[in-house]
Amino acid sequence: MSAPATKAPVLVANEVSMVFGGLTALSNVSLQLGEGQILGLIGPNGAGKTTFFNCLTGLYTPTTGSVQLRGRVLPHDPASVTVAGVARTFQNIRLFPSMTSLENVLVGRHARMSQGPLASLFHGPAYRRGEADARTRALELLEFVGLAKVHDELARNLPYGDQRRLEIARALATDPSVLLLDEPTAGMNPQETEATRQLIFAIRETGVAVVVIEHDTKFIFSLCDHVSVLVQGQLLVEGAPEVVRDDPRVIEAYLGKPPDEVEAEVRQYTEEAGPDTQVKDTGGNQ
Amino acid sequence: MNIPPGWSWLGQFLLYVAAGLLVIWLLVTGYRALARFLGGRPGLVRPLAIAGGVLAVVGALLPWVTFPLNDGPYPDLATLQFFDAPFAVTGFRLFTLITGVAAIALSFVPRIPVRRVLRALGLGLAGVALVNTIFPLIDGGGFGAITAADGAFAFGGIVTLVASLVLFFVSKAGDLEPLPRWNTKVPRLVAYAALLVSFLVLLFAVARLLNSGSDSGGGSTTYSGPIFLSLLVFFAGLFGALHAIGFAGWLSAVSDDHKLFSVLVLLLAALALPFTEAGTDYWMTIAANIGVYAATAIGLNIVVGLAGLLDLGYVAFLGIGAFVAANLSGAAAAEFHIHLPFVVAALVSATVAGVFGAIVGSPTLRVRGDYLAIVTLAFGEIFKKAAQNNIGGLTGGANAIPGVPPISWFGASFDESFTIGGVQLPSGVLYYVLIIVLVSVVMLVFANLKNSRIGRAWIAIREDEDAARAMGIKTGQAKILAFLIGATLAGLAGSVFAHKTSTVAYDSFQFPESVTLLAAVILGGMGTIPGAVIGASLLLILPEKLRDFSDYRLLLFGLALVLIMRFRPQGIVPDRHRRAELAGEAEGGVPIEELNVPDSPQGATR
Amino acid sequence: MATLLQQLTSGLVLGALIALIALGYTMVYGIIQLINFAHGEVFMVSVFGALATYKWFIPQSWQGTWQIALPCMLVGAVLVAVVLAVLMERFAYRPLRNAPRLAPLITALGVSVMLKEFVRNFFPGATAAVSVPRAFVDKAITFAVPGGTVVIQSTGILLVVVSIIGAVLLQTYITRSRMGRAMRATAQDPDTARLMGVDPNRTIVLTFVIGGALAGLAAVLYGIHINTVDTEAGFLNGIFAFTAAVLGGVGSIKGAVIGGFTIGVIKTMAGQYFPGGTEYDLVWIFVLLIVVLVFRPQGLFGEPERVRA
Repeated sequence: MSAPATKAPVLVANEVSMVFGGLTALSNVSLQLGEGQILGLIGPNGAGKTTFFNCLTGLYTPTTGSVQLRGRVLPHDPASVTVAGVARTFQNIRLFPSMTSLENVLVGRHARMSQGPLASLFHGPAYRRGEADARTRALELLEFVGLAKVHDELARNLPYGDQRRLEIARALATDPSVLLLDEPTAGMNPQETEATRQLIFAIRETGVAVVVIEHDTKFIFSLCDHVSVLVQGQLLVEGAPEVVRDDPRVIEAYLGKPPDEVEAEVRQYTEEAGPDTQVKDTGGNQ
Repeated sequence: MNIPPGWSWLGQFLLYVAAGLLVIWLLVTGYRALARFLGGRPGLVRPLAIAGGVLAVVGALLPWVTFPLNDGPYPDLATLQFFDAPFAVTGFRLFTLITGVAAIALSFVPRIPVRRVLRALGLGLAGVALVNTIFPLIDGGGFGAITAADGAFAFGGIVTLVASLVLFFVSKAGDLEPLPRWNTKVPRLVAYAALLVSFLVLLFAVARLLNSGSDSGGGSTTYSGPIFLSLLVFFAGLFGALHAIGFAGWLSAVSDDHKLFSVLVLLLAALALPFTEAGTDYWMTIAANIGVYAATAIGLNIVVGLAGLLDLGYVAFLGIGAFVAANLSGAAAAEFHIHLPFVVAALVSATVAGVFGAIVGSPTLRVRGDYLAIVTLAFGEIFKKAAQNNIGGLTGGANAIPGVPPISWFGASFDESFTIGGVQLPSGVLYYVLIIVLVSVVMLVFANLKNSRIGRAWIAIREDEDAARAMGIKTGQAKILAFLIGATLAGLAGSVFAHKTSTVAYDSFQFPESVTLLAAVILGGMGTIPGAVIGASLLLILPEKLRDFSDYRLLLFGLALVLIMRFRPQGIVPDRHRRAELAGEAEGGVPIEELNVPDSPQGATR
Repeated sequence: MATLLQQLTSGLVLGALIALIALGYTMVYGIIQLINFAHGEVFMVSVFGALATYKWFIPQSWQGTWQIALPCMLVGAVLVAVVLAVLMERFAYRPLRNAPRLAPLITALGVSVMLKEFVRNFFPGATAAVSVPRAFVDKAITFAVPGGTVVIQSTGILLVVVSIIGAVLLQTYITRSRMGRAMRATAQDPDTARLMGVDPNRTIVLTFVIGGALAGLAAVLYGIHINTVDTEAGFLNGIFAFTAAVLGGVGSIKGAVIGGFTIGVIKTMAGQYFPGGTEYDLVWIFVLLIVVLVFRPQGLFGEPERVRA
């Protein structure tokens, strides 16, 4: 049921399945992300959204299926995937807490800098130029997400919303073609959520395609060009936001309630504490 | 039936434990009650300061010991009676006098953070009092030594202890002042002058410290332990006071602004040490050992402090470097009868050690960080076994490799003394210079790497490995590189070590030495350069000064590791980031919650 | 043939000892992901505890009667081990529960060095090896096998039996009892366990207590089997035990026992048959460890680690 993407696809997931010790977390999920598209991935708690992200970024090796970026199959190694051009943020913020904001973003530049150990040791002119460029770019990105003022603060001292934005800046520093955001507005107030929405639009303007996981359906429907609904590891519906929103199957999947109530319901959960299909103790094949 | 002796022993032991707990409870309760009482009474600052100061002056003039101890008279005229000769006080009694007078004077000086300054001075004085009370107590046999016996009257130590507590409690009267910030935008000349004078003072302070309580050759005497410790805590108190008035922070900011100049001056100051009173054969040897350990510790700091990988067999790389250098030195007992020039041998040693480092680090590609600690421990043990069994005839086994010739350049043998401009310099001074160069090079390597793409990758791995990988960092390669570079530096240090000691034996490279290195890194401050040097210096100087306690060296190291991790995980010299964070801190000791940030959200990776 | 069997028997006995210690490592690591380096030293201190009990707490007239002396030594050793383990947990590790990963590891190392040096300095005569009396249970059983005989000490049999029974009981306790379930819950997710009404601190202390008790048990059996002890006993046996735990898969009781026996046998076999003999038996154990970890990072019976992002 893959609705054709409106523009040339950047990222394509082909029938990705993930089985953890007998329990199927994902089964044959396919997805196409067009150039400059914002794709929303929603679904009830434990539907396998984060697992899917982990398959896309090489953290997990899918049991079957493959992921392609601009026609090239992505390797199963997070570092190589990032180098290839897929960057991500994490559901529970994972910055480098005792580095400053600027250093966090500079780490993001790692893969785009070429200095080897010897250059790092001797700090020659070429090295300094590279370092200065990286610094400039990092400051630009901090400016872009609105954190230029706090570039010298330790990441762990930033307020929660700033930490989320710093994580986005850090991911953007890897010069990705595709940015995967795992619940970018979790725990934010309406103002911050709106700011994040504008930020994601601005990211799209720079030519980066975005995939967003979010529980907040209102946020998703007002943000995305295309929405996919994942239920119990399977792709239930996908299409334009208005189509998906009115689809009876989606409403049913969300406990048979109209969207606004569903949203309230869903917000009560946090992904990992849920009682259902998410497998914890049987382990996977990392 | 006879009751076995253990039971009465156990009874006594439990009694002591109970008594100890009671005392601790009383102290804690008393401390809290007093702090609460003083909290709302800022007006008590001056009266308390004057009272403490007067008590300290009285304490300085009272005798501290009633009779000559078993090992001879306690230093600094400790038995001098009453106020017979108020100007004859020296050593620790002089420190007490100075602190007392300073406390009284400072309480009248406006616009300085009196509470902070007196807290630092009070803690320093408490150290002086404790050292010089406890030592006669133990060494002289009981309370008679420090109180009253046979008509003699002492109590100096006890009065001073009370004085120091009073001074400390000044800081509890009302709120602690904020740390003053001085203007760091000063003319270049002023900054240079300040830096020059400060480093010169530091040089002389270090020289005095090293030679305190020594005989003419610099060696230790009976009471060098307490004399050294007294001076050390006194200096620490003074430094604390300088920090409290904002001078230390200012100086550090100024030296950051004029980095090149401060580095040069510091280097010159280090090279000037042989010209001071510490310029003896004895201290040149110790300083060379400190240098070797410091260089190795900086290498270890890359692995532990930056990349966050615990290496428990690190001294093996120092050993590998030393054995390689010994084998290439033309020593008669060596397996190869080749004599390479030192520089070549040093490079070979470093390379070989580096290769071993990469090998030991390579399981990181698959094995998680914690297990690596065991792998490194195992490697250390394997190295020891191999060296002990004279593997391939390369290590000499129990006979070691003796007779490694001293380094000799342009006909000058490094272990001879020589004269510059009429000044007779101690033997070993050339080694000292070489080792200063070595440490500087290693520091430069560390600093450059830390502030580079690679260094950031290491720190990222330490902070959150999964996130680092998601940033495109090949974590396996980066970790192996950390091991490789760390081991290379250790191997380089080992090659100098081989020539300096002239006998290379496996028992210099065992587990306790690895613990010493780790303790140096942690004591000084993980991830910092001065930290490793300060840590190594303390850990090598203290045993020299405290010969009586040599049996307890490792016990104290272990205790130090535990206490530092608990109360000051950032070490003596915190990393710059942490320093920035501490600048606004009110307390000298940092609440543990603020430093302990989980490197990954709880349970996120497990 | 006789030599082979003899080495195998010795290996099994050694393995039983290692397995008993390894259980403590594996349980603590399983629950708080801490390599408790000091566990080996807890074992060593309890050997001295057992010795002290024998020497100074049992009246001389009873020292020869093993029916009295052995239980007393057990009580003494287990008491020492449990008290140490609890103190360690409370004052060294608990304050660091949320500290960076390296901090508790270094603390563990510090505690381990302290314990060892404490005994070396303060236990009379402990600067050298101290003999543990073999006033009792010193019967040996001799089997005739082709080409010679195999001797097995009764204490060796005791070690093997006790370690297997201990492991089985522990396994049952952990899978069946309420506290056991609490332990497994805490190991998997302390936060959720807390929400479910499990007190993580109590559970963790209990883990340390059980680990300590097993180390105390191992200590007495080691003492009467080897008949001599020095302060080095904790270091190497501790490394072996941790290696066994890692080999078998940390968190797995079955893994610790099988890992223990594997290492015991390999050590004696390598000492007999491999180049370098007993001087290099350590090397082979670590080679095995690294090989296993490279191909199966979670150990033989461990549950695979799952990255959660």
